[in-house]
Amino acid sequence: MSAALLSVRDLRVRFATDGGHVQAVDGVSFDLAAGEVLAVVGESGSGKSVTAGTIMGLTHSPNARIEGSVRLDGRKLLDADEAELRRVRGDRIGMVFQDPMTSFNPVYRIGDQLVEAIRAHRPGLGRDAARDLAVESLDAVGLPEARRRAERYPHEFSGGMRQRAMIAMALALEPEVLIADEPTTALDVTVQAQILALLRRLHRERGLATILITHDLGVVAEVADRALVMHEGRIVERGSLEEVFYSPKDPYTRKLLGAVVRLDRAAPLRPARGTGPLLEVAGLVKHFPLKRGLLTERKADRVRAVDGVSFSVARGETLGLVGESGSGKSTLARTVLQLLAPTSGSVRFEGREIAGLSRRQMRPLRAEMQMVFQDPYASLNPRKRIGQIVAEPLRLHGRATGAELRRQVEELLERVGLAPEHYDRFPHEFSGGQRQRVGIARALSLRPKLIVADEPVSALDVSIRAQILALLADLQEELGLTYVFVAHDIGVVRHVADRIAVMHEGRIVEQGPADRVCERPSDPYTKSLLAAVPVPDPRESRARRASSDT
Amino acid sequence: MEGRSPWYLAYRRLRRNRVALAFGALFLAIVLFVLAAPLWASRVADTGPNETHTTERVEVGGEQREVVNREGRPIGPLWLGAGGKFFLGADGRLGRDEMVRLMYGGRTSLLVGFLSTLIATLLATTLGLLAGYYRGWADTVISRSLDVIWAFPVTLLAIALGLALATGGLQIGPLELSSGSIWIPILIIAFVYTPYMARPIRGEVLALREKEFVEAAVAQGAGPLRVMFGELLPNLLSTLIVFFTLGVAQNMLLESMLSFLGVGVQAPNTSWGTMIGDGFELISTAPLLTVVPGTMILLTVLAINIVGDGLRDALDPKSKVRIEARTGIAERKGTAV
Amino acid sequence: MARFVAKRIVGAAVVLFAISVIVFLIFNVIPSSDPAQNLAGKNATPTLVASITEEWGLDEPLPQQYLTMMRKIFTGDLISYEGREDVNERILEGVPATFSLCIGAALIWMFFGILFGYLSAVRAGGLLDRALTMVAVTGISIPVFWLAAIFLNYLTYQLELFPSGTYVPLTENPAEWANHLFLPWVTLAIGFIGIYSRVLRSNMLDAMNEDYVRTARAKGLSEHRVMSRHVLRNSLVPIVTLFGLDFGALLGGAIVVEGVFNLDGIGLYTFESLVNQDLPPVMAVVVFGAFFIVLFNALVDIAYAFLDPRVKLGEAAR
Repeated sequence: MSAALLSVRDLRVRFATDGGHVQAVDGVSFDLAAGEVLAVVGESGSGKSVTAGTIMGLTHSPNARIEGSVRLDGRKLLDADEAELRRVRGDRIGMVFQDPMTSFNPVYRIGDQLVEAIRAHRPGLGRDAARDLAVESLDAVGLPEARRRAERYPHEFSGGMRQRAMIAMALALEPEVLIADEPTTALDVTVQAQILALLRRLHRERGLATILITHDLGVVAEVADRALVMHEGRIVERGSLEEVFYSPKDPYTRKLLGAVVRLDRAAPLRPARGTGPLLEVAGLVKHFPLKRGLLTERKADRVRAVDGVSFSVARGETLGLVGESGSGKSTLARTVLQLLAPTSGSVRFEGREIAGLSRRQMRPLRAEMQMVFQDPYASLNPRKRIGQIVAEPLRLHGRATGAELRRQVEELLERVGLAPEHYDRFPHEFSGGQRQRVGIARALSLRPKLIVADEPVSALDVSIRAQILALLADLQEELGLTYVFVAHDIGVVRHVADRIAVMHEGRIVEQGPADRVCERPSDPYTKSLLAAVPVPDPRESRARRASSDT
Repeated sequence: MEGRSPWYLAYRRLRRNRVALAFGALFLAIVLFVLAAPLWASRVADTGPNETHTTERVEVGGEQREVVNREGRPIGPLWLGAGGKFFLGADGRLGRDEMVRLMYGGRTSLLVGFLSTLIATLLATTLGLLAGYYRGWADTVISRSLDVIWAFPVTLLAIALGLALATGGLQIGPLELSSGSIWIPILIIAFVYTPYMARPIRGEVLALREKEFVEAAVAQGAGPLRVMFGELLPNLLSTLIVFFTLGVAQNMLLESMLSFLGVGVQAPNTSWGTMIGDGFELISTAPLLTVVPGTMILLTVLAINIVGDGLRDALDPKSKVRIEARTGIAERKGTAV
Repeated sequence: MARFVAKRIVGAAVVLFAISVIVFLIFNVIPSSDPAQNLAGKNATPTLVASITEEWGLDEPLPQQYLTMMRKIFTGDLISYEGREDVNERILEGVPATFSLCIGAALIWMFFGILFGYLSAVRAGGLLDRALTMVAVTGISIPVFWLAAIFLNYLTYQLELFPSGTYVPLTENPAEWANHLFLPWVTLAIGFIGIYSRVLRSNMLDAMNEDYVRTARAKGLSEHRVMSRHVLRNSLVPIVTLFGLDFGALLGGAIVVEGVFNLDGIGLYTFESLVNQDLPPVMAVVVFGAFFIVLFNALVDIAYAFLDPRVKLGEAAR
């Protein structure tokens, strides 16, 4: 056991807010040894990011009260003066943040931002020497044509490259500690795999002590040596990966592990579904024209969001639609429901062609097909009470009024697991998971046959996801619903779907029964997608890497 | 169980803003002051705002004094010396009661500021909703038209309109107004101010339109009217309230400038702006005639601006404290999932 | 980039055309009384009105009238019937004074506006911030013409701190030039200082919450550097566009300030014409003023593109 490089003792952070005091961090103590990767795992609100920020001295708003101690190599950090802290930041501790797009200043070139970091700590270094060092760092993180790329602006980089640049900037001065706060959360799963591989390589080459903050247990299994589990500001579990994953002691940790939806476990067998296709899509195309200049609109300037898609969904079945960002899956979902007008192609619902119907013609059909949205915060009108929100479709279609309407809404609320007495509450008074339940209740109100769910659990915490997925499964059983389940997380999709269609750049590259697609994929893209998904099981993870490492 | 609406939360925040509340009280006091005009005119001063008293005399402390002396110099402020008559003195060669004019002038200034902004708000909201919701050619037509008016420097446009219509009256199709009508300055100001409101409103509509709750309404089969008025408008209200309030302040200043230049409110109507215009000639001999109406404008506009700022802070607070995941907080507030 | 510039210029041309049409409508079409009568002014005789009708082609179809009016304005064929003088000549004579006033005031308000805004933002919530905010709000609540009158009376007439009288050209006597312009500069600048300091403060507070500022701090940059190179730099960009907009309000302010302080510029000429209800000069000033503003804004937009690389490269980068 090497001596602790970074030592945190009894850290407490309290914020004064509109609604009273919030104890974000409540007595956190841990050590980070040189050369080790420590994962701090927790859901939103657990205090993990605040802890990281406070170590760097970045939490210094007037509403914050900080207590405890943080020592780097024996020297106190927390009480150090600003000048001392500034010397540490960037030079001895580097930090990488979640969203590389907003974390870079949009008006300066990437190279310049690295040079700025370098020269702040090495004032003796000339401009050219600093630039060379910056280019070296960019090169070391695998950024091709580093010297040329350094002259570009942040918005000219893709998400993955930006994050590499961010890592390069954090490591340029060869710090002893790297703190990475959700470094891959905003990235596609294939890009995430690359960044995680990069982090592993850098750690191997430099022996960098790392604190990795994440909510994703798969990422932890891929990269970390030890893990801490945080919940409501406290550390509830700590230990090596073996200990935490295979013999957790704390009930919260166990709940977290249990809730993780795993790709390699097949979904429990479901009884046979009803027959006959409910929805048939053939050759569906959705293009968005890009307006160019005053005059011409060349054919090349078009976003081919959905580029010829065909599939069908049987009554009572769940079709999982998987794709990364930009694959066109959300556009497809909306085009199928005629929320966007298709450019060409056919959509048949119960045998009837609905593509290109006018709004008036579509109106009665709307009751048959509804949507559940991704963002629990944006999908409910903040100015309306949740009872009103759920009642709206019923009122719109004249299904009920007055007391009968209220009764039906209360019934719906109960069915999705909410208390009917909360009818008069506003969305902001509920948590993300609860709001998603409201959205589901709203979708159910007209008793539709088909529900298209667009990333219904992506914005939710891991432990909540399982509950919502269970709710959706129960409702399907009870009401004979047909689902099209859109998601980027193939693990989640496998768990719920009977059949899976994989989307890439506007086309379906593979479709078939869920188990077959996940275990014996035929398309190369599907294969790379499956290979990139991190497995929340350290032994599995190591085995996979051993077999694929060249 | 009763829920706490976003409006209620805003109200609570506003209540804590002492400065805004104080200036709000000041504004109300000014409104009461000008509303009392007829009372003062009939009971105390015994004269109207346009009645001239050039050759008359008034009794002060036993002696008779000329309202306007031989050199054309008006009588100074008598305060309560004559029972309230000519409280602030006479307004120049015409010998009108300055205090009475001040109160009636205030009514006009407030009325023009308020109505012009109200009309502009209604127009801007309608245009902004239509342009933002429908987009396409409706948006192009509306936006381009507004852009042209907007590109025109506000004051120059208002001055041009004021001059043309003050001399000539207005006639567009069936609408005909004489040059002395108070509706002319009201409509002019509403016209030039509309683009300033319509642009940001359109911007907000465009942003709101992308929100998923709007998509949800469309998915349920809601038509354009229902979406615009049921979903979009309630979320625009707080912006509208702030814009309206700050707009009244802005437009009162614009009206006063136009009236000062003689191309705003016309005789026989009086506003604080026209009073300053009249008083400017006598500024060295009777400075009060300029100072007082201007101070009234300053106090009123200041009060409205501060209340407007207070409303903005109450309706849309930007949290300066970055707490990790506000969801974490909400998670604790609401009942367990 | 060239495409962006071309687009902007074409756009400006379209707007200019629309403005000229609007001016035409305002003066010749919407008033209910006879335009010739209005043009003739206060000393209108029937013969004068008739000759004006002939000269301006007021009995011809509207498009023809429009062309005549534009021709008269732009070829310097405009005369004021009131003062019997060539309008465009008077306008040109007034340019030095008006420019001196506007540019001087602009420099003052930019400097103080940015300074106050910066100080307010950096010490947000503190006493200095609250004091500066109060000053700013008061500044935007004062009627400019009234402030000018107050300054004129108390500082110039009563206390004789500043000279009265008209504009002294820069070439003649720089010291007197500045002395005569000092109060007008301050009067014009006060309102704008209020606006700009508030806008900058607000922009900076928003910027301070941005992720890239957090990154800058995490890199270990000094607070001064974070504020100036990251927060201020990004907050100034919207100020540039604001400046373009406000130039329009500036012209309006110039009219009353020159009028009150009796500075021999375009504003004074306009002021007098308004008081006399003399139309031709106002027509010309409005058209030229609007044209100037539109072109100025187009230039500002192009300059903006240089400041914000996302705009400049927007067309190319995909």
